[in-house]
Amino acid sequence: MFSNPVRRLDSVDAPFGAEGAGQRERLAPVALPSWRPLAAWVVPPLVALIILAVAVEIWVRAGGVSVWVMPRPSSVLEVFVSDFGLYFSEGLLTVAVSLAGLAVGTAAATLLAAGVAHSQLLERAVLPIAIMVKVTPVVALIPLFIIWLGHSIEPKIAIAALITYFPVLINAIAGFRDVDARMHDFFRSVDASTWEIFRYLRLPAAVPYLFASLKISVTLSLIGAVVAEFFLSGQGGLGALIWIEQNNLRLDRVFAAVLMLTLIGVTLSTAVVAAERVFSWRLDQPSAGA
Amino acid sequence: MTSLAASTPPVIRHPIEPEAAPAVQLEGAGLTYESKDGALEAVAPTTLKIRAGEFVALVGPSGCGKTTLMRIIAGLIAPTVGRAQVFGDSPQVAQQRKRLGLVFQEPALLAWRSVEDNIRLGLELNPRETDTGMNIEELIAVVGLTGFGRYRPAELSGGMQQRVALARALAIDPPLLLLDEPFAALDEITREQMRYELLRLWGVSHNAQEPPRSAMFVTHSVAEAVAISDRVLVMSPRPGRIIADVPITTPQPRRPEHEHSDRFINNCAIVRAALRAPTTPAVPLDAA
Repeated sequence: MFSNPVRRLDSVDAPFGAEGAGQRERLAPVALPSWRPLAAWVVPPLVALIILAVAVEIWVRAGGVSVWVMPRPSSVLEVFVSDFGLYFSEGLLTVAVSLAGLAVGTAAATLLAAGVAHSQLLERAVLPIAIMVKVTPVVALIPLFIIWLGHSIEPKIAIAALITYFPVLINAIAGFRDVDARMHDFFRSVDASTWEIFRYLRLPAAVPYLFASLKISVTLSLIGAVVAEFFLSGQGGLGALIWIEQNNLRLDRVFAAVLMLTLIGVTLSTAVVAAERVFSWRLDQPSAGA
Repeated sequence: MTSLAASTPPVIRHPIEPEAAPAVQLEGAGLTYESKDGALEAVAPTTLKIRAGEFVALVGPSGCGKTTLMRIIAGLIAPTVGRAQVFGDSPQVAQQRKRLGLVFQEPALLAWRSVEDNIRLGLELNPRETDTGMNIEELIAVVGLTGFGRYRPAELSGGMQQRVALARALAIDPPLLLLDEPFAALDEITREQMRYELLRLWGVSHNAQEPPRSAMFVTHSVAEAVAISDRVLVMSPRPGRIIADVPITTPQPRRPEHEHSDRFINNCAIVRAALRAPTTPAVPLDAA
Protein backbone atom coordinates (compact mmCIF):
# COMPACT_ATOMS: atom_id res chain seq x y z
CA MET A 1 0.00 0.00 0.00
CA PHE A 2 2.82 2.39 0.79
CA SER A 3 5.44 3.05 -1.79
CA ASN A 4 8.34 3.79 0.52
CA PRO A 5 9.44 1.99 3.65
CA VAL A 6 9.79 3.86 6.90
CA ARG A 7 12.89 3.64 9.01
CA ARG A 8 13.04 7.06 10.52
CA LEU A 9 13.36 8.75 13.86
CA ASP A 10 13.66 5.45 15.69
CA SER A 11 16.41 6.84 17.88
CA VAL A 12 14.39 9.98 18.54
CA ASP A 13 11.32 7.95 19.40
CA ALA A 14 13.01 5.98 22.13
CA PRO A 15 12.99 8.76 24.76
CA PHE A 16 9.41 9.65 23.79
CA GLY A 17 8.46 6.04 24.22
CA ALA A 18 10.10 5.79 27.61
CA GLU A 19 8.36 8.95 28.70
CA GLY A 20 5.02 7.71 27.42
CA ALA A 21 5.41 4.37 29.16
CA GLY A 22 6.18 6.10 32.44
CA GLN A 23 3.04 8.18 32.24
CA ARG A 24 1.00 5.18 31.25
CA GLU A 25 1.67 3.62 34.62
CA ARG A 26 0.28 6.68 36.29
CA LEU A 27 -2.76 7.01 34.03
CA ALA A 28 -3.69 3.34 34.08
CA PRO A 29 -7.17 2.52 35.42
CA VAL A 30 -7.30 3.45 39.09
CA ALA A 31 -6.64 0.42 41.25
CA LEU A 32 -8.63 -0.07 44.44
CA PRO A 33 -6.85 1.70 47.25
CA SER A 34 -4.76 -0.57 49.41
CA TRP A 35 -5.61 -0.79 53.10
CA ARG A 36 -3.09 1.59 54.52
CA PRO A 37 -4.05 4.79 52.66
CA LEU A 38 -7.72 3.91 53.09
CA ALA A 39 -7.24 3.57 56.83
CA ALA A 40 -5.42 6.90 56.87
CA TRP A 41 -8.56 8.57 55.54
CA VAL A 42 -11.13 6.60 57.50
CA VAL A 43 -9.61 6.25 60.97
CA PRO A 44 -9.17 9.93 61.99
CA PRO A 45 -12.80 11.00 61.34
CA LEU A 46 -14.02 7.76 62.92
CA VAL A 47 -12.00 8.44 66.07
CA ALA A 48 -13.26 12.03 66.15
CA LEU A 49 -16.82 10.77 65.82
CA ILE A 50 -16.39 8.30 68.68
CA ILE A 51 -14.90 11.04 70.89
CA LEU A 52 -17.88 13.27 70.07
CA ALA A 53 -20.35 10.47 70.88
CA VAL A 54 -18.61 9.72 74.15
CA ALA A 55 -18.68 13.43 75.04
CA VAL A 56 -22.42 13.61 74.34
CA GLU A 57 -22.95 10.41 76.35
CA ILE A 58 -21.13 11.92 79.35
CA TRP A 59 -22.99 15.22 78.98
CA VAL A 60 -26.41 13.52 78.80
CA ARG A 61 -25.73 11.18 81.76
CA ALA A 62 -23.87 13.63 84.03
CA GLY A 63 -26.08 16.60 83.18
CA GLY A 64 -29.24 14.60 83.62
CA VAL A 65 -30.51 15.68 80.19
CA SER A 66 -34.01 14.38 79.50
CA VAL A 67 -34.40 11.65 76.84
CA TRP A 68 -37.15 13.84 75.35
CA VAL A 69 -34.47 16.37 74.49
CA MET A 70 -31.38 14.33 73.74
CA PRO A 71 -31.08 10.56 73.70
CA ARG A 72 -27.92 8.82 74.83
CA PRO A 73 -25.70 7.90 71.87
CA SER A 74 -25.44 4.41 73.37
CA SER A 75 -29.20 3.90 73.26
CA VAL A 76 -29.32 5.24 69.67
CA LEU A 77 -26.72 2.65 68.70
CA GLU A 78 -28.64 -0.02 70.62
CA VAL A 79 -31.89 0.76 68.76
CA PHE A 80 -30.02 0.96 65.45
CA VAL A 81 -28.46 -2.47 65.92
CA SER A 82 -31.53 -4.25 67.34
CA ASP A 83 -33.91 -2.82 64.69
CA PHE A 84 -31.36 -2.79 61.86
CA GLY A 85 -33.72 -4.76 59.60
CA LEU A 86 -36.34 -2.01 59.85
CA TYR A 87 -33.93 0.85 59.16
CA PHE A 88 -32.38 -1.10 56.32
CA SER A 89 -35.67 -1.87 54.55
CA GLU A 90 -37.03 1.67 55.06
CA GLY A 91 -33.66 2.93 53.90
CA LEU A 92 -33.94 0.87 50.69
CA LEU A 93 -37.25 2.56 49.97
CA THR A 94 -35.70 6.00 50.45
CA VAL A 95 -32.76 5.02 48.22
CA ALA A 96 -35.17 3.77 45.55
CA VAL A 97 -37.06 7.09 45.56
CA SER A 98 -33.83 9.06 45.55
CA LEU A 99 -32.22 7.12 42.70
CA ALA A 100 -35.41 7.06 40.63
CA GLY A 101 -35.66 10.84 41.05
CA LEU A 102 -32.00 11.24 40.18
CA ALA A 103 -32.43 9.10 37.05
CA VAL A 104 -35.51 11.00 35.87
CA GLY A 105 -34.01 14.40 36.71
CA THR A 106 -30.65 13.63 35.09
CA ALA A 107 -32.18 12.14 31.95
CA ALA A 108 -34.57 15.07 31.49
CA ALA A 109 -31.87 17.66 32.20
CA THR A 110 -29.38 15.99 29.83
CA LEU A 111 -31.92 15.86 27.01
CA LEU A 112 -32.89 19.48 27.60
CA ALA A 113 -29.22 20.50 27.73
CA ALA A 114 -28.58 18.74 24.41
CA GLY A 115 -31.37 20.83 22.87
CA VAL A 116 -30.17 24.06 24.48
CA ALA A 117 -26.57 23.42 23.36
CA HIS A 118 -27.78 23.29 19.76
CA SER A 119 -30.33 26.09 19.74
CA GLN A 120 -29.94 29.60 21.02
CA LEU A 121 -33.70 30.13 20.71
CA LEU A 122 -34.37 27.14 22.96
CA GLU A 123 -31.77 28.44 25.40
CA ARG A 124 -33.46 31.83 25.62
CA ALA A 125 -36.86 30.22 26.02
CA VAL A 126 -35.98 27.51 28.51
CA LEU A 127 -33.12 28.74 30.66
CA PRO A 128 -35.04 31.56 32.42
CA ILE A 129 -37.81 29.10 33.30
CA ALA A 130 -35.27 26.57 34.51
CA ILE A 131 -33.74 29.23 36.76
CA MET A 132 -37.19 30.28 38.03
CA VAL A 133 -37.92 26.70 39.02
CA LYS A 134 -34.48 26.48 40.58
CA VAL A 135 -34.94 29.52 42.84
CA THR A 136 -38.39 28.32 43.89
CA PRO A 137 -38.15 25.99 46.91
CA VAL A 138 -39.57 22.95 45.16
CA VAL A 139 -40.62 21.27 48.41
CA ALA A 140 -43.42 23.88 48.39
CA LEU A 141 -44.85 21.94 45.44
CA ILE A 142 -45.17 18.65 47.35
CA PRO A 143 -48.83 19.23 48.31
CA LEU A 144 -49.62 19.88 44.64
CA PHE A 145 -47.77 16.81 43.47
CA ILE A 146 -49.70 14.70 45.97
CA ILE A 147 -52.96 15.96 44.47
CA TRP A 148 -51.74 15.34 40.91
CA LEU A 149 -49.83 12.12 41.33
CA GLY A 150 -51.53 10.44 44.28
CA HIS A 151 -50.44 9.19 47.68
CA SER A 152 -47.82 6.85 46.33
CA ILE A 153 -44.19 6.84 45.27
CA GLU A 154 -44.72 9.10 42.22
CA PRO A 155 -44.87 12.51 43.96
CA LYS A 156 -41.75 11.61 45.94
CA ILE A 157 -39.86 10.75 42.76
CA ALA A 158 -41.11 13.96 41.14
CA ILE A 159 -39.70 16.09 43.98
CA ALA A 160 -36.38 14.23 43.95
CA ALA A 161 -36.18 14.72 40.17
CA LEU A 162 -37.09 18.40 40.32
CA ILE A 163 -34.48 19.10 42.99
CA THR A 164 -31.71 17.34 41.05
CA TYR A 165 -32.25 18.59 37.52
CA PHE A 166 -30.71 22.04 37.77
CA PRO A 167 -27.05 21.24 38.48
CA VAL A 168 -27.18 18.59 35.76
CA LEU A 169 -28.75 20.99 33.27
CA ILE A 170 -26.20 23.74 33.79
CA ASN A 171 -23.22 21.39 33.78
CA ALA A 172 -24.43 19.42 30.78
CA ILE A 173 -24.91 22.61 28.74
CA ALA A 174 -21.37 23.69 29.63
CA GLY A 175 -20.06 20.21 28.80
CA PHE A 176 -21.81 19.92 25.44
CA ARG A 177 -20.39 23.31 24.50
CA ASP A 178 -16.87 22.68 25.76
CA VAL A 179 -15.62 21.31 22.47
CA ASP A 180 -12.37 22.30 20.82
CA ALA A 181 -13.11 24.63 17.87
CA ARG A 182 -10.53 22.92 15.67
CA MET A 183 -11.91 19.53 16.60
CA HIS A 184 -15.29 20.81 15.49
CA ASP A 185 -13.68 22.01 12.25
CA PHE A 186 -12.26 18.54 11.66
CA PHE A 187 -15.70 16.95 12.09
CA ARG A 188 -17.20 19.43 9.64
CA SER A 189 -14.37 18.92 7.15
CA VAL A 190 -15.49 15.31 6.64
CA ASP A 191 -19.15 16.35 6.48
CA ALA A 192 -20.06 14.78 9.85
CA SER A 193 -23.74 15.10 10.74
CA THR A 194 -25.03 17.05 13.75
CA TRP A 195 -25.80 13.71 15.38
CA GLU A 196 -22.24 12.45 14.77
CA ILE A 197 -20.80 15.66 16.21
CA PHE A 198 -23.00 15.13 19.26
CA ARG A 199 -22.33 11.43 19.65
CA TYR A 200 -18.57 11.47 19.06
CA LEU A 201 -17.61 14.96 20.26
CA ARG A 202 -20.11 16.75 22.51
CA LEU A 203 -21.36 13.82 24.57
CA PRO A 204 -17.95 12.41 25.54
CA ALA A 205 -16.70 15.95 26.19
CA ALA A 206 -19.58 16.40 28.65
CA VAL A 207 -18.95 13.23 30.67
CA PRO A 208 -16.65 14.85 33.27
CA TYR A 209 -19.17 17.71 33.61
CA LEU A 210 -22.01 15.24 34.10
CA PHE A 211 -20.15 13.45 36.87
CA ALA A 212 -19.34 16.75 38.58
CA SER A 213 -23.06 17.58 38.65
CA LEU A 214 -23.99 14.05 39.70
CA LYS A 215 -21.86 14.47 42.82
CA ILE A 216 -24.03 17.44 43.80
CA SER A 217 -27.31 15.96 42.62
CA VAL A 218 -27.02 12.61 44.37
CA THR A 219 -27.17 14.25 47.82
CA LEU A 220 -29.86 16.67 46.66
CA SER A 221 -32.03 13.76 45.54
CA LEU A 222 -31.75 12.24 49.02
CA ILE A 223 -32.93 15.53 50.54
CA GLY A 224 -35.88 15.61 48.14
CA ALA A 225 -36.82 12.02 48.93
CA VAL A 226 -36.73 12.52 52.72
CA VAL A 227 -38.71 15.78 52.69
CA ALA A 228 -41.34 14.20 50.43
CA GLU A 229 -41.57 11.25 52.81
CA PHE A 230 -42.37 13.64 55.68
CA PHE A 231 -45.53 14.56 53.80
CA LEU A 232 -46.40 10.97 52.90
CA SER A 233 -45.78 9.35 56.27
CA GLY A 234 -48.10 6.48 55.44
CA GLN A 235 -45.93 5.40 52.50
CA GLY A 236 -42.78 4.30 54.34
CA GLY A 237 -39.20 5.37 53.95
CA LEU A 238 -36.80 6.86 56.50
CA GLY A 239 -38.38 10.30 56.23
CA ALA A 240 -41.77 8.84 57.18
CA LEU A 241 -40.17 6.88 60.03
CA ILE A 242 -38.54 10.03 61.41
CA TRP A 243 -41.87 11.86 61.20
CA ILE A 244 -43.71 9.12 63.07
CA GLU A 245 -41.06 8.65 65.78
CA GLN A 246 -40.88 12.39 66.29
CA ASN A 247 -44.62 12.31 67.04
CA ASN A 248 -43.95 9.44 69.45
CA LEU A 249 -41.15 11.52 71.04
CA ARG A 250 -38.78 8.59 70.46
CA LEU A 251 -35.69 10.68 69.75
CA ASP A 252 -33.41 7.65 69.95
CA ARG A 253 -35.30 6.12 67.02
CA VAL A 254 -35.20 9.44 65.14
CA PHE A 255 -31.44 9.55 65.54
CA ALA A 256 -31.13 5.91 64.45
CA ALA A 257 -32.98 6.77 61.23
CA VAL A 258 -30.74 9.81 60.72
CA LEU A 259 -27.71 7.58 61.22
CA MET A 260 -29.03 5.31 58.46
CA LEU A 261 -29.48 8.35 56.18
CA THR A 262 -25.89 9.39 56.84
CA LEU A 263 -24.67 5.93 55.87
CA ILE A 264 -26.80 6.05 52.72
CA GLY A 265 -25.46 9.49 51.80
CA VAL A 266 -21.86 8.34 52.23
CA THR A 267 -22.53 5.20 50.17
CA LEU A 268 -24.23 7.02 47.30
CA SER A 269 -21.56 9.74 47.09
CA THR A 270 -18.81 7.14 47.14
CA ALA A 271 -20.58 5.19 44.41
CA VAL A 272 -20.67 8.27 42.17
CA VAL A 273 -16.95 8.88 42.69
CA ALA A 274 -16.23 5.21 41.94
CA ALA A 275 -18.41 5.32 38.82
CA GLU A 276 -16.59 8.45 37.69
CA ARG A 277 -13.27 6.67 37.93
CA VAL A 278 -14.57 3.82 35.82
CA PHE A 279 -16.61 5.68 33.21
CA SER A 280 -15.23 9.18 32.80
CA TRP A 281 -13.46 9.62 29.44
CA ARG A 282 -14.28 6.01 28.73
CA LEU A 283 -17.60 6.47 27.04
CA ASP A 284 -16.65 4.90 23.75
CA GLN A 285 -14.17 2.32 24.94
CA PRO A 286 -13.20 -0.04 23.59
CA SER A 287 -13.15 1.39 20.07
CA ALA A 288 -16.67 2.65 19.42
CA GLY A 289 -18.20 2.10 16.03
CA ALA A 290 -15.85 -0.76 15.23
CA MET B 1 21.31 15.89 14.16
CA THR B 2 23.82 15.46 11.32
CA SER B 3 23.03 11.75 11.02
CA LEU B 4 19.40 12.54 10.34
CA ALA B 5 20.11 13.71 6.79
CA ALA B 6 21.82 10.46 5.88
CA SER B 7 19.01 8.32 7.25
CA THR B 8 16.26 10.18 5.41
CA PRO B 9 14.78 8.10 2.59
CA PRO B 10 14.14 9.91 -0.67
CA VAL B 11 10.75 11.54 -0.87
CA ILE B 12 8.46 10.23 -3.56
CA ARG B 13 6.43 13.08 -4.88
CA HIS B 14 3.24 13.26 -6.85
CA PRO B 15 3.38 14.46 -10.45
CA ILE B 16 1.96 17.92 -10.99
CA GLU B 17 -0.89 17.73 -13.46
CA PRO B 18 -1.56 21.07 -15.10
CA GLU B 19 -4.39 19.59 -17.19
CA ALA B 20 -6.47 18.24 -14.30
CA ALA B 21 -8.94 20.40 -12.38
CA PRO B 22 -6.91 22.51 -9.95
CA ALA B 23 -6.85 21.26 -6.38
CA VAL B 24 -7.71 24.74 -5.18
CA GLN B 25 -9.01 27.67 -7.14
CA LEU B 26 -9.92 30.97 -5.54
CA GLU B 27 -11.58 33.57 -7.73
CA GLY B 28 -11.62 36.90 -5.96
CA ALA B 29 -12.52 35.16 -2.71
CA GLY B 30 -12.41 37.49 0.28
CA LEU B 31 -13.98 37.87 3.67
CA THR B 32 -15.27 40.97 5.38
CA TYR B 33 -16.72 40.89 8.88
CA GLU B 34 -19.63 43.27 9.32
CA SER B 35 -20.05 44.82 12.74
CA LYS B 36 -21.67 47.86 14.32
CA ASP B 37 -18.37 49.75 14.13
CA GLY B 38 -18.11 49.11 10.41
CA ALA B 39 -16.67 46.48 8.18
CA LEU B 40 -13.44 44.66 8.98
CA GLU B 41 -11.78 43.19 5.93
CA ALA B 42 -10.01 40.02 7.07
CA VAL B 43 -8.99 38.74 3.66
CA ALA B 44 -8.91 40.96 0.57
CA PRO B 45 -10.32 39.40 -2.61
CA THR B 46 -7.79 36.74 -3.50
CA THR B 47 -7.22 34.80 -6.67
CA LEU B 48 -4.99 31.76 -6.58
CA LYS B 49 -4.64 28.32 -8.04
CA ILE B 50 -3.02 25.21 -6.64
CA ARG B 51 -2.53 22.58 -9.32
CA ALA B 52 -3.21 18.94 -8.64
CA GLY B 53 -0.05 17.40 -7.21
CA GLU B 54 1.41 20.72 -6.12
CA PHE B 55 2.75 21.49 -2.64
CA VAL B 56 2.19 25.18 -1.90
CA ALA B 57 3.22 27.10 1.20
CA LEU B 58 1.49 30.24 2.39
CA VAL B 59 3.54 32.62 4.51
CA GLY B 60 2.59 35.95 6.03
CA PRO B 61 2.65 37.96 9.22
CA SER B 62 0.42 37.08 12.16
CA GLY B 63 -3.21 38.04 11.74
CA CYS B 64 -2.98 38.49 7.98
CA GLY B 65 -5.81 36.04 7.34
CA LYS B 66 -3.88 32.89 6.44
CA THR B 67 -6.07 30.73 8.64
CA THR B 68 -9.22 32.42 7.35
CA LEU B 69 -8.13 31.73 3.78
CA MET B 70 -7.59 28.08 4.66
CA ARG B 71 -10.98 27.87 6.35
CA ILE B 72 -12.56 29.30 3.18
CA ILE B 73 -10.86 26.62 1.10
CA ALA B 74 -12.00 23.92 3.55
CA GLY B 75 -15.59 25.16 3.33
CA LEU B 76 -15.70 25.97 7.05
CA ILE B 77 -16.48 29.62 6.36
CA ALA B 78 -18.12 31.11 3.29
CA PRO B 79 -16.34 33.96 1.49
CA THR B 80 -18.35 37.21 1.47
CA VAL B 81 -17.10 37.93 -2.06
CA GLY B 82 -15.85 35.72 -4.85
CA ARG B 83 -15.82 31.96 -4.73
CA ALA B 84 -13.69 28.98 -3.80
CA GLN B 85 -13.45 25.70 -5.66
CA VAL B 86 -11.76 22.47 -4.69
CA PHE B 87 -11.13 20.00 -7.53
CA GLY B 88 -13.62 21.91 -9.64
CA ASP B 89 -16.46 21.68 -7.10
CA SER B 90 -17.57 23.65 -4.11
CA PRO B 91 -15.71 23.01 -0.82
CA GLN B 92 -18.92 21.38 0.49
CA VAL B 93 -18.67 18.72 -2.19
CA ALA B 94 -15.04 18.18 -1.17
CA GLN B 95 -16.23 17.68 2.44
CA GLN B 96 -18.88 15.21 1.36
CA ARG B 97 -16.38 13.27 -0.72
CA LYS B 98 -13.85 13.42 2.12
CA ARG B 99 -11.23 15.00 -0.06
CA LEU B 100 -9.83 17.30 2.63
CA GLY B 101 -7.22 16.36 5.22
CA LEU B 102 -7.02 19.06 7.88
CA VAL B 103 -4.15 19.48 10.33
CA PHE B 104 -4.10 22.34 12.82
CA GLN B 105 -1.53 24.13 14.94
CA GLU B 106 -2.67 22.12 17.96
CA PRO B 107 -3.13 18.36 17.53
CA ALA B 108 -6.83 18.69 18.56
CA LEU B 109 -7.27 15.01 19.37
CA LEU B 110 -10.13 13.38 21.27
CA ALA B 111 -8.71 12.93 24.78
CA TRP B 112 -10.94 9.93 25.53
CA ARG B 113 -9.89 7.94 22.49
CA SER B 114 -6.75 5.92 21.95
CA VAL B 115 -4.25 6.88 19.27
CA GLU B 116 -5.63 4.33 16.80
CA ASP B 117 -9.24 5.33 17.47
CA ASN B 118 -8.30 8.97 16.93
CA ILE B 119 -6.69 8.08 13.61
CA ARG B 120 -9.78 6.07 12.65
CA LEU B 121 -12.12 8.99 13.41
CA GLY B 122 -12.33 10.37 9.89
CA LEU B 123 -13.31 6.93 8.57
CA GLU B 124 -16.01 6.44 11.23
CA LEU B 125 -17.64 9.79 10.57
CA ASN B 126 -19.96 10.10 7.61
CA PRO B 127 -19.10 6.54 6.51
CA ARG B 128 -19.46 5.81 2.82
CA GLU B 129 -19.23 2.63 0.83
CA THR B 130 -16.69 4.17 -1.49
CA ASP B 131 -14.27 4.98 1.34
CA THR B 132 -10.99 3.33 0.59
CA GLY B 133 -9.19 4.54 3.64
CA MET B 134 -5.87 3.25 4.80
CA ASN B 135 -4.85 0.40 6.99
CA ILE B 136 -4.66 1.95 10.47
CA GLU B 137 -1.86 -0.35 11.64
CA GLU B 138 0.23 0.55 8.61
CA LEU B 139 -0.51 4.22 9.08
CA ILE B 140 0.60 4.09 12.71
CA ALA B 141 3.86 2.52 11.53
CA VAL B 142 4.30 5.14 8.82
CA VAL B 143 4.05 7.99 11.33
CA GLY B 144 6.49 6.18 13.61
CA LEU B 145 4.08 5.38 16.44
CA THR B 146 4.27 1.59 16.37
CA GLY B 147 3.39 0.27 19.80
CA PHE B 148 1.53 3.41 20.82
CA GLY B 149 -1.81 2.53 19.20
CA ARG B 150 -3.56 1.92 22.51
CA TYR B 151 -2.14 4.98 24.28
CA ARG B 152 -4.23 8.04 25.03
CA PRO B 153 -3.10 11.36 23.48
CA ALA B 154 -2.26 12.78 26.93
CA GLU B 155 0.36 10.06 27.32
CA LEU B 156 2.29 11.23 24.24
CA SER B 157 4.71 14.11 23.65
CA GLY B 158 3.63 17.11 21.56
CA GLY B 159 5.50 15.87 18.48
CA MET B 160 3.91 12.43 18.74
CA GLN B 161 0.45 13.97 19.15
CA GLN B 162 0.98 16.04 16.00
CA ARG B 163 1.96 12.87 14.14
CA VAL B 164 -1.32 11.32 15.28
CA ALA B 165 -3.12 14.38 13.87
CA LEU B 166 -1.24 13.92 10.58
CA ALA B 167 -2.16 10.25 10.49
CA ARG B 168 -5.81 11.12 11.20
CA ALA B 169 -5.81 13.52 8.24
CA LEU B 170 -4.16 10.91 5.99
CA ALA B 171 -6.43 8.06 7.09
CA ILE B 172 -9.25 9.17 4.82
CA ASP B 173 -6.72 9.27 1.99
CA PRO B 174 -7.46 12.85 0.95
CA PRO B 175 -6.19 14.29 -2.33
CA LEU B 176 -5.76 17.68 -0.62
CA LEU B 177 -3.95 18.29 2.66
CA LEU B 178 -4.66 21.61 4.37
CA LEU B 179 -2.04 22.25 7.04
CA ASP B 180 -2.46 25.29 9.28
CA GLU B 181 0.89 25.92 11.00
CA PRO B 182 1.04 22.27 12.00
CA PHE B 183 4.47 22.51 13.61
CA ALA B 184 4.18 25.94 15.24
CA ALA B 185 3.67 24.49 18.72
CA LEU B 186 6.66 22.14 18.48
CA ASP B 187 10.21 22.75 19.61
CA GLU B 188 12.73 23.66 16.91
CA ILE B 189 14.44 20.26 16.84
CA THR B 190 11.22 18.27 16.44
CA ARG B 191 10.00 20.85 13.99
CA GLU B 192 12.94 20.43 11.62
CA GLN B 193 12.46 16.66 11.63
CA MET B 194 8.73 16.95 11.03
CA ARG B 195 9.22 18.87 7.76
CA TYR B 196 10.66 15.86 6.04
CA GLU B 197 8.31 13.52 7.88
CA LEU B 198 5.47 15.52 6.38
CA LEU B 199 6.90 15.40 2.86
CA ARG B 200 7.33 11.67 3.16
CA LEU B 201 3.78 11.19 4.49
CA TRP B 202 2.39 13.47 1.85
CA GLY B 203 4.06 11.27 -0.74
CA VAL B 204 2.52 8.08 0.62
CA SER B 205 0.68 6.54 -2.29
CA HIS B 206 -3.06 6.90 -2.32
CA ASN B 207 -6.26 6.04 -4.10
CA ALA B 208 -5.64 6.05 -7.86
CA GLN B 209 -9.25 7.16 -8.45
CA GLU B 210 -8.43 10.53 -6.94
CA PRO B 211 -6.25 13.32 -8.36
CA PRO B 212 -2.59 13.39 -7.28
CA ARG B 213 -2.29 14.65 -3.75
CA SER B 214 -1.79 18.38 -3.25
CA ALA B 215 -1.03 20.33 -0.13
CA MET B 216 -1.45 23.83 1.19
CA PHE B 217 0.86 24.56 4.07
CA VAL B 218 0.40 27.69 6.19
CA THR B 219 3.45 28.77 8.18
CA HIS B 220 5.25 31.70 9.79
CA SER B 221 8.61 30.20 9.01
CA VAL B 222 10.24 31.20 5.72
CA ALA B 223 12.82 28.40 5.94
CA GLU B 224 10.10 25.82 6.56
CA ALA B 225 8.06 27.09 3.61
CA VAL B 226 11.04 27.08 1.23
CA ALA B 227 12.28 23.69 2.45
CA ILE B 228 9.17 21.74 1.58
CA SER B 229 7.08 23.52 -1.04
CA ASP B 230 7.07 23.83 -4.81
CA ARG B 231 5.82 27.37 -4.56
CA VAL B 232 5.57 29.93 -1.77
CA LEU B 233 2.72 32.41 -1.70
CA VAL B 234 3.43 35.51 0.38
CA MET B 235 0.58 37.35 2.07
CA SER B 236 0.48 41.00 3.13
CA PRO B 237 -0.58 42.20 6.59
CA ARG B 238 -4.33 42.50 7.13
CA PRO B 239 -6.37 42.73 5.02
CA GLY B 240 -4.39 39.83 3.65
CA ARG B 241 -3.78 39.49 -0.03
CA ILE B 242 -1.23 37.56 -1.99
CA ILE B 243 1.68 39.84 -2.88
CA ALA B 244 4.22 37.37 -4.21
CA ASP B 245 4.28 33.94 -5.80
CA VAL B 246 7.78 32.49 -5.50
CA PRO B 247 8.63 29.24 -7.31
CA ILE B 248 11.15 27.23 -5.29
CA THR B 249 14.04 26.06 -7.40
CA THR B 250 15.69 23.67 -4.93
CA PRO B 251 15.90 20.25 -6.60
CA GLN B 252 13.39 17.49 -5.83
CA PRO B 253 13.13 15.34 -3.83
CA ARG B 254 13.85 17.63 -0.93
CA ARG B 255 16.40 16.62 1.68
CA PRO B 256 17.60 18.33 4.85
CA GLU B 257 21.04 19.04 3.35
CA HIS B 258 19.39 21.20 0.70
CA GLU B 259 18.83 23.74 3.43
CA HIS B 260 22.53 24.61 3.22
CA SER B 261 22.56 25.13 -0.54
CA ASP B 262 22.92 28.53 -2.23
CA ARG B 263 19.65 28.01 -4.06
CA PHE B 264 17.79 27.43 -0.83
CA ILE B 265 19.31 30.57 0.70
CA ASN B 266 18.47 32.60 -2.44
CA ASN B 267 14.88 31.38 -2.39
CA CYS B 268 14.55 32.32 1.27
CA ALA B 269 15.96 35.77 0.47
CA ILE B 270 13.35 36.33 -2.24
CA VAL B 271 10.50 35.35 0.10
CA ARG B 272 11.86 37.54 2.90
CA ALA B 273 12.19 40.49 0.53
CA ALA B 274 8.56 40.04 -0.50
CA LEU B 275 7.50 39.94 3.15
CA ARG B 276 9.41 43.17 3.86
CA ALA B 277 8.10 45.07 0.84
CA PRO B 278 5.75 47.95 1.59
CA THR B 279 2.50 46.35 0.60
CA THR B 280 -0.63 47.95 1.95
CA PRO B 281 -1.10 51.48 0.61
CA ALA B 282 -2.98 53.85 2.90
CA VAL B 283 -5.57 54.30 0.14
CA PRO B 284 -6.63 51.18 -1.77
CA LEU B 285 -5.22 51.37 -5.28
CA ASP B 286 -8.50 50.81 -7.06
CA ALA B 287 -10.40 53.29 -4.91
CA ALA B 288 -8.64 56.31 -6.37
